[in-house]
Amino acid sequence: MVRLKVSDLETGYGENKVLKGVNFDLRPEDFTGVIGPNGCGKSTLVRAITGVIPIWKGEVWLDGKKISDMNRKELACKVAVVPQRAHVSFPFTVREIVEMGRNPFLGRFEGMGGSHDSIVEDALSKVGIEELGDRSVRGLSGGEYQRMLVARALAQEPELMLLDEATSHLDIGHRIEVMELMKRLNSKEGLSILTIHHDLDLAARYCGNILLMDDGGLHAKGKPSDVLTPNHLRAVYGVEAEVHRNPRDDSLYVVPITRKEIKTTKDTHVHVVCGGGTGGKVMKKLVEEGYEVTAGVLNAMDSDMESVDFLNVRPVVEAPFSSISKEAKKENMELMKSAEAVVVTPFPIGKGNVDNIKMVEEMVDEVKQVVLMDGDDIHARDYTDGYASSILNGMKIKYNVSTVKEEEGVLRALSRQNL
Amino acid sequence: MKAPFREHKKGFLLLLLSILTFVTLVSLSVGSRGVQIPYSKISAIIMSNIPLLDRVFPTYSGTDSVIIMQIRLPRVIFGILSGWALAVSGVTMQGIFRNPMASPYILGVSSGGALGASIGILLGLGLYYIPGLAFTLAIITAVTVFLLGRVNGKTDLPTLLLAGIAIGSFLGAITSYLKFVGRDTLQEIVFWTMGSLHGTIWQHIYIVLPIILFGTIMTSLFTRELNVIQAGEESAAYLGVDVERTKFVLLTLSSLLAAAVVAFTGIIGFVGLIMPHIARILIGPDHRWLVPSSALMGGIFLVSCDTIVRLSGNIPVGIITGLFGAPFFLYLLIKSRGETGW
Repeated sequence: MVRLKVSDLETGYGENKVLKGVNFDLRPEDFTGVIGPNGCGKSTLVRAITGVIPIWKGEVWLDGKKISDMNRKELACKVAVVPQRAHVSFPFTVREIVEMGRNPFLGRFEGMGGSHDSIVEDALSKVGIEELGDRSVRGLSGGEYQRMLVARALAQEPELMLLDEATSHLDIGHRIEVMELMKRLNSKEGLSILTIHHDLDLAARYCGNILLMDDGGLHAKGKPSDVLTPNHLRAVYGVEAEVHRNPRDDSLYVVPITRKEIKTTKDTHVHVVCGGGTGGKVMKKLVEEGYEVTAGVLNAMDSDMESVDFLNVRPVVEAPFSSISKEAKKENMELMKSAEAVVVTPFPIGKGNVDNIKMVEEMVDEVKQVVLMDGDDIHARDYTDGYASSILNGMKIKYNVSTVKEEEGVLRALSRQNL
Repeated sequence: MKAPFREHKKGFLLLLLSILTFVTLVSLSVGSRGVQIPYSKISAIIMSNIPLLDRVFPTYSGTDSVIIMQIRLPRVIFGILSGWALAVSGVTMQGIFRNPMASPYILGVSSGGALGASIGILLGLGLYYIPGLAFTLAIITAVTVFLLGRVNGKTDLPTLLLAGIAIGSFLGAITSYLKFVGRDTLQEIVFWTMGSLHGTIWQHIYIVLPIILFGTIMTSLFTRELNVIQAGEESAAYLGVDVERTKFVLLTLSSLLAAAVVAFTGIIGFVGLIMPHIARILIGPDHRWLVPSSALMGGIFLVSCDTIVRLSGNIPVGIITGLFGAPFFLYLLIKSRGETGW
């Protein structure tokens, strides 16, 4: 059985066609999310499904009936909308606003009362604001206000509930609260839900299916894991993103990455020997100054790998929890050989990465400038019983080795050598 | 200040009814020429003119009877009806536009009416032709503004508002020109634009009463829709309201109500703008109660002002409505600061 069927839907405003052929089905048990960039037609979809704007081409079927054959009241008895934030012009009470949900069921000469009243009370208690009934809408907090709008939609006793960015203005607590309520209504009361989101994580977490819209059409639809992929996100939002799985509840979450465009303006290659998060800042400075930057050897799990990724610095990578292999060493030495300068950051040195220091010592005469960053006492980060410290101290007497404390010092040392 | 009569809506309407009765009796007892008629006699004269009751009460004749039945009673009844209609029109317009500045004249009914009346006065037309011309031009203006406010097959309120202002200024310019060229008739036109209940006869009531009854009853049937629209037009559509039809019906009705009054009284300002606000402060925003409350308050207010008019030697009622209404409204506005809505 299909509750909502949208086929080849085209519509828009005036001359401007917004929806350019949308197709999807919604079954009664579905909890489906609609995502997509601003202006892709998400809200227009809601307006078309609810018959607020006329359909140009195609058709929307609700329970097998064309919505173009239904009048406003008939539709409002089956489909309810929770809008983002509707401004109410006058200080109505919460109950008066929720009573408006009964409007489609009342005849012109009919008043509230009887079953209508109990439905309104029921709706208020379902969203947990029964004690707010007599309060003016003016004094409500954002969360209370939005729950009132949910209650108004519930008072319509709909089969299908549309949420048009209904939680966008809410803090994370209220956002989860509203979504949990929707989840309950979906599973317990068989309410079909179509929810428009800007928050991809929220969509991924609560929706069984996701429609990814782009430029008035559906770019992808299906399970969150099929729709929320880096490729789809790049194509639709123009953003690089990683999609991770939250091990706690197996839901997906999206981590956007803003990659810097590398504009190498200087003809100077600087190799950074770093680790343990000590290289991020200096690599960023160097990249910003326009140096060609490489890094190595880094463990794949090293926190400096994030900076490398972010800054698009070419790294030499070694597998986690293993000492540096021959291949990695060779690659690293070659990078140092081609580099004009080598920067060594104050990273903790142990048995696994002491080779990084040894390689610098080996190559010290091959490069124009070596900059040792020595912010902390070397012994404090030396886990090689003084072996690493002696190498580093030995290097300090070389004419082309300078020792600096801060990242700015690195830049000054390089510029002194006209690098 | 929370709307003090919100929990006592029926009581509030009863209170307004009794005030209206009181004000009516006071108004009947005083006149511009200083003729005081005692209340007992007023009641007796009115009773004796009501079919069936006239068999019980003795028939009165003479000056007092003529003053009451032919001069004061029609004027007071017409005052009630005018205040009533303007307030219903104003509350509807404010509800539709969701704008506190909306008045019965927002679609140009007043400027159209003024132009019609000016032409009539300039041409030296008689008692029925001037209101006829004013009414016709008022309606033509409202229809024009309404058509100008159509965007993509919908009534676009901001466009409508601006079209009303533009057309109003245009017609106002023509009226000013007519004032300028017709120096002999200048005073009459100016008086007309200040509004007056002077010279009301029963025939006026026979013409206006059906329009006002029709307008009020029809408006009352759309008060729930008007409430729902306060949550925004789009939300109202989601709640099953045919927003475009509601706007069309209510704009038509309230312009009709305003035009019917304007045609006979000229431009009485303030009643339609302020009575709905005061009613809202007192009884809350629910239009199902707001419309009748505003209507009764409009009647009370206009009859009271007209009583002062007659005691003060027939200065135009529009001056009195502003002079007494504005301070009272300001008082309520300050007392209820921040609670009026908008």
